[in-house]
Amino acid sequence: MKACRRMVITLPMVLWLGGCATSTDPREGGLLGGIQGLGSGAYDARVQEREARLEALRRTQQELEGERSDLETRRAEQTRQVAAERARLQRLDGDVASLDREVAALSAQHGRGDQRVRELQSRLAALKQQMGRQQSALDALEGDGLGDSDADLRRRQLEQQRQALQQEYELLMQLSLELAR
Amino acid sequence: MKRGLTVLACAIAIAIAGTAWGHEDGEGSVPLDEIRQVMREHALHPPAESVLEGLSAANFERELRALDPHARYFPAGTWRSPMLSRDAWVGIGAGLVFQQDGVMLLPYQGGGAALAGVVEGMWLLEVDGLSVTGVAPAELLRLLRGTEGSTVTLTLLPPGLNAAPVRLTMVRERFRPLDVELVDASGQRIVRVRDFVGGLTRPALLATLDFVLAASPPSAEGAAPLILDLRDSGGGDLYEALDMAALFLPAGAVLGSMQGPDGRSTVFHAPPGGKVDFPMVLWVGPETASAAEVFAGALQYHGRAKIVGRPTFGKCSSQRDVGLSDGSVLRLTNRMVWLPGGESCADVGIQPDRVVGTAMLRDPSRLLAVSMALRHGRGAKVPPPRAEPDAPAALHQEMF
Repeated sequence: MKACRRMVITLPMVLWLGGCATSTDPREGGLLGGIQGLGSGAYDARVQEREARLEALRRTQQELEGERSDLETRRAEQTRQVAAERARLQRLDGDVASLDREVAALSAQHGRGDQRVRELQSRLAALKQQMGRQQSALDALEGDGLGDSDADLRRRQLEQQRQALQQEYELLMQLSLELAR
Repeated sequence: MKRGLTVLACAIAIAIAGTAWGHEDGEGSVPLDEIRQVMREHALHPPAESVLEGLSAANFERELRALDPHARYFPAGTWRSPMLSRDAWVGIGAGLVFQQDGVMLLPYQGGGAALAGVVEGMWLLEVDGLSVTGVAPAELLRLLRGTEGSTVTLTLLPPGLNAAPVRLTMVRERFRPLDVELVDASGQRIVRVRDFVGGLTRPALLATLDFVLAASPPSAEGAAPLILDLRDSGGGDLYEALDMAALFLPAGAVLGSMQGPDGRSTVFHAPPGGKVDFPMVLWVGPETASAAEVFAGALQYHGRAKIVGRPTFGKCSSQRDVGLSDGSVLRLTNRMVWLPGGESCADVGIQPDRVVGTAMLRDPSRLLAVSMALRHGRGAKVPPPRAEPDAPAALHQEMF
C-alpha cells in the first residue's frame, strides 16, 4: 500500500518534469527548464541567434534603403537629364523658328515656284512636326514617372532623336545659306 | 478556313473604319481633274488617258486600287504624315493578332498588358469573364477598349503544351510605344522595330543598341547575336530603312536602288561613319513589308544577317503623298525598289534562311533557339512544335 502511494506521487512528478525538459529555450522550459537552459549555455545561444536574426534584418533594411536611395538618385539623374534635354530642345526650337523666318524670306526672294525653296520648306515643315512630337514625348516621359529602365531607354532614344533633328536642322541651315548667296 | 476568312473580312472592315482613312465611294467631292494630273506626272506607270478620263467619284476608291494596289485617297483632314510615329492612345498597350485558331495578344513594351505579365504568344480566352469564342472582332475591340484608368481582366492561355489559363487584370492607360522596343525572350534581349519612321527609328535603334551594350557588353567569342524582330514591321520610310541598313554594312556597300517613272535608276551605297558589327539574326514574317523588306533584303544579300521566320509580304515599291488643293491627299506608287542584287521582292517577299512553321513564328523562345543554332551553323534543336496549321497564321492585327 505504501509502495503504491509512493508510485502515485512519483509518476505525476516524472510526467511533470519530463514535460518540462523538452526544450532548452529559457522562455519555454518553465522554472526547471529555464534554470537548465541558463546553466547549459542555451540561453546565450538563443540570444546570439536572436542577435544574428536582428542583424540580418538590419542588413535587409539597409539594402532596401540603398535600393530606394539608388532609385531616387537614378530618378533625380533622369529628371536632370530630361530637364537638360528639354533645354536643348527649346534651343533647337528657337533655331528652327529662326530658320523658318529665313526660309520665308528666301521664298519671297526666289519666288514660291523655286524647286529648292519648296524642298527646303517641305523638309522644314517635317522638322517642325518632329520637334512637336519630340516635345510631347518628353512631356509624356515626365508624366510616366522616371526611374525604371524603360524610362531610361525612352530618354536615351529621345536624346538620340533630338541629335538627329539637330543634324537635319544644320543641313537645312546650310542649304538656306547656299540659297541666300 | 471559312471562319478564318470571315475574321479577316471583319478585321479589315474595322481597320478601315477605325483609322478614318477610308473613303466611301460617292461621299463628298473628289478633285478628279487634279488627281488625273498628279497621276500623269508622278505615277510610276501613268495610266492611259482613256483610263484616267474614266475615273469617277462614285467608284473612285475601287478604280484607284485597280490602277495601283498601294494607292490611297485621304479626304481632307484624314491624312497623317508618315514622318510621325504612332500617337499615344488609351488602352492596355497591346496588339491583337487574329489567327485562324484564335486571337493572340501582342503586348508593347511598357504598356499595361506587359506590366501585368502578358507575354507574346498568349491566346485570349475571355475578357472580363466573357468568352471570346465566336465574338466578332469589332465587338472584341469594344470590350477591350475603355476609359483611362479603368481595368479589364483577361483570361489568357500561355504558350506551351501543358500551360493552364491565367487571369490577369490590367489598367487602361495613356500609352506611347517606344520607337524601338527592347523585349526579353528566354533571357535574351530582342530589339523590335515595328515602324520605320523618317529621322526617328535609326537614332532610336542606335540608342537602344547603346543601352544593350551598356547593360551587357558582348564577349568576343561566341557572342550572342543581336536579334532584330521585324515580324510586325509593316514598313515606313524607305530612306530610313536604307540608312538603318547602312549602319550594319561597310562603306560603299550597295543598299539597293530605286527606279522612277522616267526609267532612271538611282543606286544607294552605305556611307562611311559609325558601324555596328554585332552578329545579327532578323525575324520576319508575312506582316513584314515594304521598307522592312528592303532593310532585311540588303542585310541578307551582303551576308550580314541570317533571317529566320516566314516569307515576307512582298512589296518592293515606294509611294508618294501628294497634297491636293481641297486639303485631301493622294498616295500613289512612284518608284520601284530593287534589292542590292538587282532583284525585286514584289509578290515573292524575302525568303528566310530558316523557314519556321506558323505557330513557331509566334513563339519567341523557339525562334530564339533556331536563331542561336543558325548563328552557330548548327541544325536547330528546338522544343517540339505545338499544332502547326498549314494556313497563314496572322490574318490581321489590331492595336488597342
